[in-house]
Amino acid sequence: MRRLAIGLCLFLFAQLAWCVDIIGNRSVSVDSLSLASARSIFGMRQVKWPDNSHIQVFVLADTHPTHVALCKERLNLFPYQLRQSWDRLVYSGMAQAPTEVGNEEELINKVAATPGAIGYVRKVKPNDAIKIIAIQ
Amino acid sequence: MMRSRSLRFSKTVFAFSAIFFNALVQGQELGPGLQAHGFISQSLVYTSDNQVGGDSDDGLAADFRELGANLSWRASPDWLFSGQALARWAGESDRGDLRLDYGFVDHTLLADGDDQVGVRVGKIKNPYGFFNTTRDVAHTRPGIIMPQSIYLDRVRNFFLSAPGVGVYGNHAGMIADVSWSIGAVRFDADDPSLEHLFFLNNQPGKFNGETSWIGQVMSDIDGGRWRLGLTLADVNMQYQPTAADTELTAGRNRVRPVVLSLERNSERFSITGEYSQAKHETRGYQGAGLLTSGLQNPNTIEAWYVQGTWRPSTDWRIYLRRDEIYRDKHDKKGQNGAVPGYEFINFAKDWTLGVRYDLNAWTFSAEYHKVHGVFWISSQDISLFDQKEYWDMVLLQAAWRF
Repeated sequence: MRRLAIGLCLFLFAQLAWCVDIIGNRSVSVDSLSLASARSIFGMRQVKWPDNSHIQVFVLADTHPTHVALCKERLNLFPYQLRQSWDRLVYSGMAQAPTEVGNEEELINKVAATPGAIGYVRKVKPNDAIKIIAIQ
Repeated sequence: MMRSRSLRFSKTVFAFSAIFFNALVQGQELGPGLQAHGFISQSLVYTSDNQVGGDSDDGLAADFRELGANLSWRASPDWLFSGQALARWAGESDRGDLRLDYGFVDHTLLADGDDQVGVRVGKIKNPYGFFNTTRDVAHTRPGIIMPQSIYLDRVRNFFLSAPGVGVYGNHAGMIADVSWSIGAVRFDADDPSLEHLFFLNNQPGKFNGETSWIGQVMSDIDGGRWRLGLTLADVNMQYQPTAADTELTAGRNRVRPVVLSLERNSERFSITGEYSQAKHETRGYQGAGLLTSGLQNPNTIEAWYVQGTWRPSTDWRIYLRRDEIYRDKHDKKGQNGAVPGYEFINFAKDWTLGVRYDLNAWTFSAEYHKVHGVFWISSQDISLFDQKEYWDMVLLQAAWRF
C-alpha cells in the first residue's frame, strides 16, 4: 500500500513536471517533434515545416514561469541559453527573433490565428482552437 | 576638429533616432515578416596609464559608445534580407562614422526537417570564435570589452564583416546540434589600424584586401551544456606603396588563424575558453631597413582566455577572466625586434573582474582590469613611447536594446 502511494505520488509529480504543452496552429502538418527539432525551432534555426510553410514562433518573456518551464522541462536547456542563441542570430542578421507576447491567453490567440504558428502554454482548455504537438 | 566631430555625432544620432523612434512606436514587428532591432551603449573608462576608448589616462573618458539598428525582412520561408547600420566611438580608430555593419541576402537551399543548408551573398559578419558576429552588442558580450586576446578591438573594423559569399548549414541531432559555415570574402583592408599592427605606425601607402577564406564548425552538445567550436581563416592583403613611401616596397601579408572554442554551461555557472594561433607571414617586401627586415621574419600570434561566470540569480552575473596574447609564441618576453625597455609592446596579460546586472532591456556593468603589457592598445590613441608596461583600467557601462 505504501509503495503504491509513493508510486502514485511520483507519477503525479512527473505529470506536474511535464505541464507545459507545446501548441501549434491547426494548419501545422506535424503532430510530434523530436527534442532536437523542438530546440532547433525555438532556437530560430529551423524556419520551415515539412510542407514548406513558414514557422512562426510565439514566446513569453524570458522570466515568465511558463517560459522557464518550457526551457527546463521540455527543451532541457536554460532560458539564458535560448536568449543568447536568439541574440547571436538576430544581431548578426542570420535569423529573426520570435514574437514575444504578454501572457498565455494572448499566446493561445496568436497561435490559433496565425498559420504555421507554434508556442506553449501551461494549460490547454478543451475549446482552444489549437493543436498540441508532442515531443518524442 | 572638435566641431566636425560634434557635427558627425549629431548627424549619426539623428539618423539613428529616426529608426529607433519608428521601431519603438511600432514595436519590433514592423509588418508581415519585417522586424527592427537595435542597441545603444555608453561607457566610462578610467586608465591609470595608457589610453582606451578616448582620453582615459588618469581621467574619465566618456566618448566610448555604440549605436546600431537593423532591419530584416523574411520575404518567404526561403528568402531573408538583413541589414544593420552601426556607429562606434572609441578614440582615434572609431569616431562615430555611420557604416554598414552587414547587408546580405540569405537563401535557403535545403530544409529537410533537422537539416538546413543555405547561402548568403553581400556584406556578411565573419564567424570567428564564439562572439565575433555580435561583438558590438553589449548584451551579447562576455564583458564590457571583449577578451582582447582573441577579439582584438584595435583591428575590429577590418575583421568584423566583409563582402563576399558564404555557405552555411545546420544539423539538429539527438546528441548535438552542429552548425557550420564557409565564406569567401574580400576584407576592406584600407584601414590605418592594420598598418599600426603590422608596421607599428601609419605608412603613406595602403592595404588592399585580396580573396580570403573563413570557416567555422560549432557544436552544441546536450542543449548547449557543452559548446565546442573550431574556426579557420586565411586572410590575405597586399600593401600598395605611394611615391612618399621611404621604408616600404609593395608586399603581401597573410594571416592564418586557428581558433578553438570551448564552453561549459550550467544553470548558475559557465566556463568559457578560447585558444588561438595566427601565423603571420609576408612576401615581396624588399630592402634592408629595420621595418622590412622585421617583416621578413614570420611570427605566430598566440592568444587565449578563460572566463568563469557565476549567475547568483537570473539578473546578476559576476565574472573573472584571464586573458593573454603574445606577438610571437616563441618569444613570450617580446624581445625580438623590440626597442630595449619596450618589450612589453609585444604581449599583454590581463586579469578582469566584472559584474553585470540585467533589468529588462537594460544592462549595467562594471569591470576592473589589471594589465601587464600593451599589445592590444592602439598606437593610434597613444604614441608607442608614451605607453606604460603595468596599468589598471576601470570601465562602467549602461546599455539598452530592442
